[in-house]
Amino acid sequence: MIRFLNLVAVGCLIASAGYAYSIKYETLYHAEQVAKLKTRIQKERDSIAVLKAEWQHLNRPDRLQVAVARHLDLQPMTIHQLAQLSDLPTKAPKVDEIARLLQGTTTPKEKRAGDPRTTGSTTPKR
Amino acid sequence: MATAPLLSKSSGEAPPPGLARRSWHWLKNIFRLRIDKSTGRLVFVGFVFAALFAVIGGRLAMIALVRDASFGHAASREIAAARPDILDRNGEVMASDVKVVSVFADPRKVVDKEEAVELITAVLPDLNARELRQKLGQRRGFVWIKREITPKQQAEVHRLGIPGVGFLPENKRVYPNGVAGAHVLGFANIDNAGIAGIEKYIDGQGLKDLNGAGFAVSSEDLKPLQLSLDLRVQHALRDELVKAQAKFRAKASAGAIMDVNTGEVIGLVSLPDFDPNNPVDALEKDRINRINVGVFEMGSTFKALTTAMALDSGRFNIHSTLDARGALRYGKFKIGDYHAKNRVMTVPEVFIYSSNIGTAKMALGVGVEAHKAFLRKAGQLDRLVTELPENALPIVPGRWGELNTITIAFGHGIAVAPLQALMAVGALVNGGMMIKPTFLKRSEEEAKAHAVRIIKPETSEAMRYVLRLNATKGSASSAAIAGFFVGGKTGTAEKVVNGRYSKTKNLTTFTAVYPMDKPRYVFLTILDEPAGLPETHGFSTSGWNAAPTTGNIIERVAPLLSVPPRFEPPANAFPLMVKLGAWGTR
Repeated sequence: MIRFLNLVAVGCLIASAGYAYSIKYETLYHAEQVAKLKTRIQKERDSIAVLKAEWQHLNRPDRLQVAVARHLDLQPMTIHQLAQLSDLPTKAPKVDEIARLLQGTTTPKEKRAGDPRTTGSTTPKR
Repeated sequence: MATAPLLSKSSGEAPPPGLARRSWHWLKNIFRLRIDKSTGRLVFVGFVFAALFAVIGGRLAMIALVRDASFGHAASREIAAARPDILDRNGEVMASDVKVVSVFADPRKVVDKEEAVELITAVLPDLNARELRQKLGQRRGFVWIKREITPKQQAEVHRLGIPGVGFLPENKRVYPNGVAGAHVLGFANIDNAGIAGIEKYIDGQGLKDLNGAGFAVSSEDLKPLQLSLDLRVQHALRDELVKAQAKFRAKASAGAIMDVNTGEVIGLVSLPDFDPNNPVDALEKDRINRINVGVFEMGSTFKALTTAMALDSGRFNIHSTLDARGALRYGKFKIGDYHAKNRVMTVPEVFIYSSNIGTAKMALGVGVEAHKAFLRKAGQLDRLVTELPENALPIVPGRWGELNTITIAFGHGIAVAPLQALMAVGALVNGGMMIKPTFLKRSEEEAKAHAVRIIKPETSEAMRYVLRLNATKGSASSAAIAGFFVGGKTGTAEKVVNGRYSKTKNLTTFTAVYPMDKPRYVFLTILDEPAGLPETHGFSTSGWNAAPTTGNIIERVAPLLSVPPRFEPPANAFPLMVKLGAWGTR
């Protein structure tokens, strides 16, 4: 009986030693992975910092201004180009489009060139 | 029994004869598993451990006492430290760290110094061979060979395979926007220590101590610093000033924009400026920050302060009349008006016609001591200290008599930093609270916590009224951009040349505020020695150059700022003035 118990104990010992070994090597492996990841994260961070600085460098206002002047036909917006909500024309009365099409006789009125402009005509006071 | 070994004393057995046998017996006794032997064993084990610890302790003491200039220690003192990012008020990057590689050598490990010098200078041709040879001849453990090399150079140096030569990653400060905000940002040197501007301020906040104590601070640990500047505004301001300086052939120019309710400086430009990425000319004399390091006689802009003082003192009110006929004589001095009206004027008229005589009489009416006290309260006589390490002491007359009060009333005879004047004008229009300018983002509550009242709210309304009146009827009309309800004051100071006021060389300033019913931003533009042009009819006073320049700036910057344009001027913007029936309201 005692011999059997001894054998069991020896078996347990070997098994636990094996287990401890495997755990230890696994830990080492993971620790290595962590270290590797940390270096990679640091590298990524560094390159993010470089890219951010580069992005800002390429987007710096004086460079953009030169590019806009060369490639775009834009002008600075002035207040005269703004309109108020009250300047907008009122919504046209609702027309039954389908009925109008079915009738087939009426045609929409063409807007003539001489019609007054309805937006953007406000001149603000100084 | 007397010859028995010490440890076997307690055993009852007789000692066996012979040395070998005796010692064998002694050992056997030690390892015998018996309770009465334990004391001896413990003493033995104790000795062994004591010896072990003594060895370890001795080695520790040796390491601590004998200072070995090992590589790691020497390098950590030399590597450029990390600095926090600097952002503008909208979070755009204004300064950042990037990693670069530097090449170093440990001269003690370089075997063949001549060969090393030859090989390295072949790869890095801009190195001086003699200097390098001298560096490698030192008996130090660490010398830099070249800072901030390119990856290609690094690969080439690496391929040389010289023993004792290695690479270290370092932080390099970059300013991606170039010249924008240069005077506020300042710059950092190759060791990433702040030399000027906000960069120096950051070092003063404890960063340097942390690095000095050996804490390797990485950039992720550092909280970015958010400035009050707006990058877009900063650029627009600079662009307009560059144009104006070229147009009016001015020697120099400067501009600043401040939020009157928080004291935040939204934009600050001083031309000529420098590129903080390559600050070789940053310390030249004409590159100073004119807004807070230069001191200038502000000219008529100062009349706003005098008028506010007069109205606030109670000795004058908005209806008070001042006699501006003829010239004001004081001793042998004669003071005249540039736009002479030669009649009796009310306070608003004195302001919009910029009468030197009227303003001087106001100051005299208040008295020399009260004048001095008011200017001190308004922060014009003391050094204005902001986050920027650069500042200047105003030039104030040593003996301040009535004549000084007369000239200071219209901005001559006292030289202040423009930022100081801006702070005072902000206080005149924001309801009377003087708020110290800041270059860091802050809220209105934080600003109000340290604000000091210098004039009554009613006086502030009167000041807003006369400034607005000056834009509708007076010399500031070219800056009155539609939709923003602008008010302003021109200022032209004659420059002192060889101890006398020059008639041809002017320093023109313009102060603008908008919207006048509830002021939010104050603008200041300075042009140094602008020339008269055919389109300005040869005039070089402020209304012809600084005022339209400020107008251009407002037109361009105002849509970027948080005050929406209005089509109609606000109704009843100055209720008190209308109630009093001040000049110009009817």
